[in-house]
Amino acid sequence: MVLAAGYLGFGALANGSAFPLWAALLSTLTIFALPGQLAMLEMSIAGAPPLVIVITVSLTAARFLPMTVALLPTLRSRDGPRWRIYAAVHLLAMTGWAASMRRCPELPQAERLPWFVGFALTNWVCCLVATAVGYALAHSMPPLVRQGLVFVGPLYFVLILTGETRSRHGIAALACGAVAGPLIYTVAPEWSVLLGGLIGGTIAFLALRSGKRA
Amino acid sequence: MPDLALLVIACGIGTYVWRGAGLLISGRVRADSQFFVWAGCVAYAMIAGLTVRIMLLPGGTLADTRLWERLLACAVALAVYFIVRRNLFVGIATGFAVLVALSSARHPL
Repeated sequence: MVLAAGYLGFGALANGSAFPLWAALLSTLTIFALPGQLAMLEMSIAGAPPLVIVITVSLTAARFLPMTVALLPTLRSRDGPRWRIYAAVHLLAMTGWAASMRRCPELPQAERLPWFVGFALTNWVCCLVATAVGYALAHSMPPLVRQGLVFVGPLYFVLILTGETRSRHGIAALACGAVAGPLIYTVAPEWSVLLGGLIGGTIAFLALRSGKRA
Repeated sequence: MPDLALLVIACGIGTYVWRGAGLLISGRVRADSQFFVWAGCVAYAMIAGLTVRIMLLPGGTLADTRLWERLLACAVALAVYFIVRRNLFVGIATGFAVLVALSSARHPL
């Protein structure tokens, strides 16, 4: 699991910044979203007020709303208790989402949710272990290696998005978001993830719609 | 430190809220509607924006690397990734190695 490398970096970073191991593990357990966890770590070291940290971390997680909305119609089945799906969405993160968006439509309806849960649960456990290992190894890691491990997170997104996105809508949205996100960041950093996605995604959606009509 | 535990758990709840809200909304809308196409576009655009922003304007420890070092490492990683038929592990290991090599050339041990 390549995502685990990002969590190695997170664990190492937590150790280097005097963040206790249990808190790093708790964050992987409860948040399970690397960008949000990195933001939380860096802000709490910088001494930002707790309320601001919670708001920022929550905003970086806003991407889960459209991600859940997009994936759920594929996963949902009529039978089975409802709590299962509420528990399952907690495990929703980038890797499981990108893989399920591609794989699940090919599977029979009944096997989709189990496939997703199996995939995401494995990921979750690997990330917990990686957080602890990164924490333990931090002292023997040179700072440059630690820096490289932090780089793995965004690099991972670049590769998986360019390699795995097949649909026309997905490709157009990636391009628009890649431009809109950084542009908005220079004006309003704390809103850039949310606004960049809304604006970039809507432009891509509208452009393809009018293209189809013309 | 109970304060820290509270902070982490509050962040966790703040994160779950979005997943849960997505679940609630998706139950009310037809699966084949344009709304889902739009939501998918927004999701892809958000992640693309966040990723490109971290590459161009990183915070924290990555800010110590130079822009061209990150871009070169990213470009080499992408090229290798496609050459080895989309093997994520090989691509990422390459990018990692290139970035570490470039920045260690700048900081002789």
